[in-house]
Amino acid sequence: MNDDTELPEKLALQLRHLPSAIPPERDLWPEIRDRLEVPDLRPSRSVPLRGFWRYSLLAAAAAGVVGLSLVWRSFRGSDTATGWAVAVVSGSPQLDRQRLADQGTWRRGQWLETDSDSRARLAVGTIGEVNLEPNSRLRLLGTAAQDHRLRLERGTLRAFIWAPPRLFFVETPSATAVDLGCAYTLSVDDAGGGTLHVTSGYVALESGARRALIPAGLLCLTRPGKGPGTPFSQDAAPELRAALERFDFTAGGEVALEAVLRLAGSGDVVTLWHLLTRAPAPRRADVFERLARLHAPPAGVTREGILAADRAMLKLWAAELGLFGALSEE
Amino acid sequence: MHAVDPAEPRVDSPFPVLLHDETELVRRAQAGDVAAFEPLYRHHVPRVYAVCLRLVADVRRAEEMTQTAFVQAWKSLHRFRGESAFSTWLHRLAVNAVLMEFRSLHRREAHVMGVAEPGTLETPTDSPPPGLRLDLERAIARLPAQARLVFVLHDMEGYTHEEIAKQMELQPGTTKAHLHRARQLLQEALR
Repeated sequence: MNDDTELPEKLALQLRHLPSAIPPERDLWPEIRDRLEVPDLRPSRSVPLRGFWRYSLLAAAAAGVVGLSLVWRSFRGSDTATGWAVAVVSGSPQLDRQRLADQGTWRRGQWLETDSDSRARLAVGTIGEVNLEPNSRLRLLGTAAQDHRLRLERGTLRAFIWAPPRLFFVETPSATAVDLGCAYTLSVDDAGGGTLHVTSGYVALESGARRALIPAGLLCLTRPGKGPGTPFSQDAAPELRAALERFDFTAGGEVALEAVLRLAGSGDVVTLWHLLTRAPAPRRADVFERLARLHAPPAGVTREGILAADRAMLKLWAAELGLFGALSEE
Repeated sequence: MHAVDPAEPRVDSPFPVLLHDETELVRRAQAGDVAAFEPLYRHHVPRVYAVCLRLVADVRRAEEMTQTAFVQAWKSLHRFRGESAFSTWLHRLAVNAVLMEFRSLHRREAHVMGVAEPGTLETPTDSPPPGLRLDLERAIARLPAQARLVFVLHDMEGYTHEEIAKQMELQPGTTKAHLHRARQLLQEALR
């Protein structure tokens, strides 16, 4: 029997292209959750209990199970179709101008507001959690299973989402933050400008046809009427940040771009990748050269292709830079 | 100023959920925090489900095996010491859940049919489950059950014949025969 012969080459090649993950067709979590046993509250075997105390402890354990279940269900929001559970963290947040008690249900269309002393925490259906910081104004726009949507009018929120990508959206006056599986902080100032800081995973910022992809460790500014700027590293030099802001929002043009290219280092390759298509056409070759020096393009990516904004090549290089590839393995 | 935007930022990932801090979530789940276990589930379920679906080639059974794996993980969390990656540990639990079911069926068949290797009588599956779109996936799903199990475990999951034989309660020679047959059937199917 040729049992230990090598896997035929053609078959081996095809096997390598099979996806390592297949999402189930339905959410299995509710059934799994129902089968999970809560922590064992029984006394240690080394302390034998009899009679009254034994039954008292069993009753307490049972009550604990029921209590935990009730707390769990109330916080996770039994009414996720039309509203989400919201809880006071500190101070006196308001729900549609009414002071919020310890907990409540936040319904579609309602505004949640915090003053300088208050904070609130809300369960995003069953897919995540958002903390609303002081001096913030947030509206619940959508609670559909495929579209959990908020509008941050001003202030700051911190989101931690564990859902599949593109189920959680935060609109702001200048762009929409699209969750791609992540944790992030999003702030909006009184003029409607925003700052996104991604701390885990990826977020896309979108405004019309204008998009930016921001991985963990990077920030991105947004401005009304302009949309998202070019993402930059949290460690980027102040001069580089300033040059990018001029390039993105104040018609800094080629002078600003020149400064960006001069200042960008190995930690700024994601910034440069975005500039491959954002730079004016005559300057894209300069961006290509700078990026190529910092991180050589992978096989299959050519200078001509990039200058022609070939999408497949842009994605290939992005993967090489860790923009997409970082997600492919743990 | 910005005539063209970057390529569409669509992220193709086997993990739909990135974890903020897996170690902390595992620690909290070990302490009995169900809320910490859910993101672990969301993060890892595509890979667990994928291996279950490939092994059993049936959506409903794959869902059951996936659920069993996560329930088993919850029960056994106190034994997870972080010596391997959490994903590796979970993956192993899923494979074990499928093989446990297989052994149970195998013993029942052997008892009823009175043959030592009841799987050798089986025929290829007719219809692959939905969700398996690629030709190779569909061909794997059509393999006879034992041949499919051995092929997936050996050629896709990296198990040795000795490990597979022990887990499936078969002779190593039998698992080698199943592997040979599976490869032949796949090559024919893909011609």
